[in-house]
Amino acid sequence: MSWSEPGRRLRTLAIAIVALGLVVGFAACGGGGGGGIEGSGSTEAETVKLEGKPSGSVTISNWPLYIDEGTVPAFEKATGVKVKYVEDINSNEEFFNKVQPLLRNGESGGRSMMVLADYMVTKMHKLGYLQEFDKSALPNVEENLAENLKHPPFDPNRDYTAPWQSGMTGVIVNKQTAPDVRSICDLFDPKYKGKVDILNEVREAVPLVMKCEGVDPEKATEADWMKAIDKLKEESESGQIRKFTGNDYARDLTSGDAVAVMGWSGDAVQLQEDNPNLEWRMPTEGCMLWSEDMVIPVGAPNPTAAEAFMNYVYDPEVQANIAEYVNYVTPVEGVKPILAKRSPELAENQLIFPSASFTKKCSPTPQLEGEEEVNVIKAFDAVLNG
Amino acid sequence: MTAIRRRIAPYFLLGPGTVWLVLFFVVPLYYMGKLSLNSGVLGENLHFDWNWSNYSEALSAYDTQFVRSFLYAGVATVLSLLIAYPLAYVIAFKAGRWRNVLLFAVVAPFFTTYLIRTIAWETILSDESPVTEFLHAIGLAPSGHILATGSAVIAGLTYNFLPFMILPLYASLERIDVRLIEASKDLYASATQSFLRVTLPLSAPGIVAGTLLTFIPAVGDYVNAQFLGGTGNRMIGNVIQSLYLSQSDYPSAAALSFVLMALIMVAVVIYIRFAGSEALMGEEAR
Repeated sequence: MSWSEPGRRLRTLAIAIVALGLVVGFAACGGGGGGGIEGSGSTEAETVKLEGKPSGSVTISNWPLYIDEGTVPAFEKATGVKVKYVEDINSNEEFFNKVQPLLRNGESGGRSMMVLADYMVTKMHKLGYLQEFDKSALPNVEENLAENLKHPPFDPNRDYTAPWQSGMTGVIVNKQTAPDVRSICDLFDPKYKGKVDILNEVREAVPLVMKCEGVDPEKATEADWMKAIDKLKEESESGQIRKFTGNDYARDLTSGDAVAVMGWSGDAVQLQEDNPNLEWRMPTEGCMLWSEDMVIPVGAPNPTAAEAFMNYVYDPEVQANIAEYVNYVTPVEGVKPILAKRSPELAENQLIFPSASFTKKCSPTPQLEGEEEVNVIKAFDAVLNG
Repeated sequence: MTAIRRRIAPYFLLGPGTVWLVLFFVVPLYYMGKLSLNSGVLGENLHFDWNWSNYSEALSAYDTQFVRSFLYAGVATVLSLLIAYPLAYVIAFKAGRWRNVLLFAVVAPFFTTYLIRTIAWETILSDESPVTEFLHAIGLAPSGHILATGSAVIAGLTYNFLPFMILPLYASLERIDVRLIEASKDLYASATQSFLRVTLPLSAPGIVAGTLLTFIPAVGDYVNAQFLGGTGNRMIGNVIQSLYLSQSDYPSAAALSFVLMALIMVAVVIYIRFAGSEALMGEEAR
């Protein structure tokens, strides 16, 4: 292309258009208050407004492989509600950061219900992103919620959360290649150099390392957190730790690339179908206990149907199907006798129905806050990003 | 009328591209620039206050990952060039009726998504895979695992960006007037001489375009490091992602993105100076 006289004018015009765009951009920004992501939202939680019988359609966000195939269609048939069930949550933090810009403006991105960890729903409630339930539509939850889950410190009356599933974080080992890994400390045995995966969830990985160091995560100071993170840094730099993973440790375990990992109780049961040598073990130091909750975000369309769904999954018969599929700890009473009839093995499984003595050394997921949360996550991410 | 129309036409032709650039590049860039000068993190008093220290802090805190990104991308680009040049040469001059088939083979992997192709490499380089065992057997790979190392990340980058090297190289090689090569032979140039003094210089625009198309996206890539890397192999893209999605530290993430952009720009300018802008523009610029 040759730039002749009209060509030069053309170039001037192009520059002018770009400049105009800039001006428009500046103006739009001035009016929009810098994209509207400053500050924090209101902390007054509103209550869900129910409208008659559940109908219409509802969108539910959940984690992958967290429900059996029959429950959603059965709910649709029973209520006439059309469900869009989306498995778009892969990490509490990432999901939160993705939806926060919407929630700040009182929108939920079309979602009527979502499932997130205890610590995350606590944070969201504080920011005013969640609605409180109208319990009149949740009789099954009132009746069947497990006694030990009824009054958690972050939501003493279960006003805005209903547990979806609970579970334990410990170690998953390959019985053949890493038979003697029985504790968190064993993961750092040089025998298994480059064959160990550690979870990329700061609230689970770091407290488990504290347990190895003899520190009680419930009483840990910021210095204890940093010390445990330093230990991870050291093991990461020496090549002991192969990778920091989420659910994707499953790939490393089934391919044999990893022989022992930090992992979640329900996953192991599903992994055994691929490789019967894989097994979840309760670390000798104890495990981390966690729970994930159903919540209704602000701006949720059709909360009536969302509550109907929550109530539906708290029917022990329905929950038995979910429990049988996901193999996590079910929060619903009355599931055990139903499963005992179907398969006595499942009813005896400590991973699905753990006894008090089985979990006695376990700790709840810690709630990090304010400055400490920022510092700990920063230090942990620095190790992840090596 | 026709004169006016002829003068207006270019403006119309420029229109869509300009609007696209302004809407999806200039405007977002402005917001990102403003964000990079904020203080605080999302949800905890994020506000604008000309906080230039984001830049210096981002650079000093993540210099390792910057160096690593440029190193990985650089090695991947050189490897791509070494693999792509002979291939493009064969397709352009020797393939005959197989030319279209070969070109299709180069593009075919694009029918699968980038993510799936990268994840496939996890299986290829897995500890007990035949490929890994073969590499160990012939002594090409040191003991220990290949997956979850820097080599695996570079392999992934090379593989994923290879077509971006092959296609421009092919385009510039294919345009070469064969009579020029014949002429050099008539003038008693050996095969090597005619390649070095005729073919190679004439394909320079393809080399420059190919290396840029490979290097620039490779520096900012994070998918390969995420899946194929282990501890100590994360690139700057992974850092930006974790700042944005896990630490909610939007200002530092934005500042890092700008620093990355600036560094790439400097590298490219130096490269073009070195390679000559003539090569970039091709014959028309002469």
